[in-house]
Amino acid sequence: MTNDTHIVKSYGEELQFLNDSIIQMGSLTESLLTDSMNAITILDKDAVDRIVQSDKKINEYRAKIDTQIMTILVKRAPMAIDLRVAISALRISQDLERIGDLAKGSAKKIVPLPEDLSQTLLDSLKRLGNTVKNQLNKTLDAYIKKSKEGAIEVIKLDENVNELTYLSIKEILNFLSKDNKNLEFATNLLFVAKNLERAGDHIRRISENIYYLVEGDYYQK
Amino acid sequence: MDLTMDNKIKIKSNNLNVFYGQKQALFDINLEINQNEVTALIGPSGCGKSTFIRCINRMNDVIDICRMEGQIQIDDKNIYDPGVDVVQLREKVGMVFQKPNPFPKSIYENVSYGPKIHGIGESKDDLDQIVENSLKRAALWNEVKDRLEEPGTSLSGGQQQRLCIARAISVNPEIILMDEPCSALDPIATAKIEELIDELKKTFTIVIVTHSMAQAVRVSQKTGFFHMGKIIEVGTTEQIFKNPTNNMTQDYITGRFG
Repeated sequence: MTNDTHIVKSYGEELQFLNDSIIQMGSLTESLLTDSMNAITILDKDAVDRIVQSDKKINEYRAKIDTQIMTILVKRAPMAIDLRVAISALRISQDLERIGDLAKGSAKKIVPLPEDLSQTLLDSLKRLGNTVKNQLNKTLDAYIKKSKEGAIEVIKLDENVNELTYLSIKEILNFLSKDNKNLEFATNLLFVAKNLERAGDHIRRISENIYYLVEGDYYQK
Repeated sequence: MDLTMDNKIKIKSNNLNVFYGQKQALFDINLEINQNEVTALIGPSGCGKSTFIRCINRMNDVIDICRMEGQIQIDDKNIYDPGVDVVQLREKVGMVFQKPNPFPKSIYENVSYGPKIHGIGESKDDLDQIVENSLKRAALWNEVKDRLEEPGTSLSGGQQQRLCIARAISVNPEIILMDEPCSALDPIATAKIEELIDELKKTFTIVIVTHSMAQAVRVSQKTGFFHMGKIIEVGTTEQIFKNPTNNMTQDYITGRFG
């Protein structure tokens, strides 16, 4: 295994700081996703305020990480694993920011739930939301452990997200077909389902970048 | 960047061992250097990379206590065979050193000296042509064409190094060895030499020893990492600096060594 200590201590500290920033940003994104699902499925109004705050912080993290990476590139001209740490952090922070945007976008769709909304529909959306949250949790865990296996597991499970999205969309369309007055609400739910699927795609990309970080090569199926 | 590495092998070392008296400086070096490519040798001071390139033109012959075993082949011929004419070998294998070392002669004579002693240019016109071509190929002609009779030492450090490169290529070598050619130069002069190296590789095979990782990445297609007289890893420059397979290489290039 590569020696963890740089001769120039401050260089090692800069890379560690970058790593910690990604973990903090990821954890914040995870909370935002939870809040977003609660806002939609249990009408947690307080969650909306938290979402706006978290999204702002996530954007700040992204800007801070960008600056850190620029500084490392200019000061250190990183090579090999250090270069991959910097490049993957750049990509991962972009994906985390996008997940934050999508979760916030979903929460904006919050409106009182119609009385005739079926439990099956709500359950299918919750299941989709929980799966995406689990995926994000697993990918952050893989990042912390720098685990290639953990990253591969998330990549492979992305297919589940796609299937659950399909099921949710089917339920939403059923609901829509019952009554035309459901049109606006159903359209919002379609956006929510689609946003969750896209968040899943970003999580998959994060895992692919973790694989690249650890292996120095791109993940091939 | 050439990733195919399908060029012909120009230089090949087979189980090369070098000793300075009792001390062994190189251990079983097996390395293939491709024609018309730049091969960079990296590694901490004292790791044997300069010793290795000095074997390629038998510069180590002049050190009494230096002894070598194994082979170095150029175009499949062992240059340590008893029949090899060392003067002819050094005509084929030019060298540029860390510190520019022009002769205490005019710019013109610095470049014409080699061709004269090797009997390459017979007439004054021939020599004039060789001097002009060599200085042009070393990207120095425009800066010195009106002052060819001035001493080589009157030039700036970067110009002196390009003069040394012009001197090295004036005898039509096939290989140029460069031992930290930019370590005494400022960034502008370094950039000019690097640009020149890129141009020269079309004609010559270049082996460069450098302590600058960034320079190795910029100029070379293949990189070898030396440590304590052994070659630890060789690969395409892209692979070595993006994803080395050996942890020692990774520790060295990322500044974790020691």
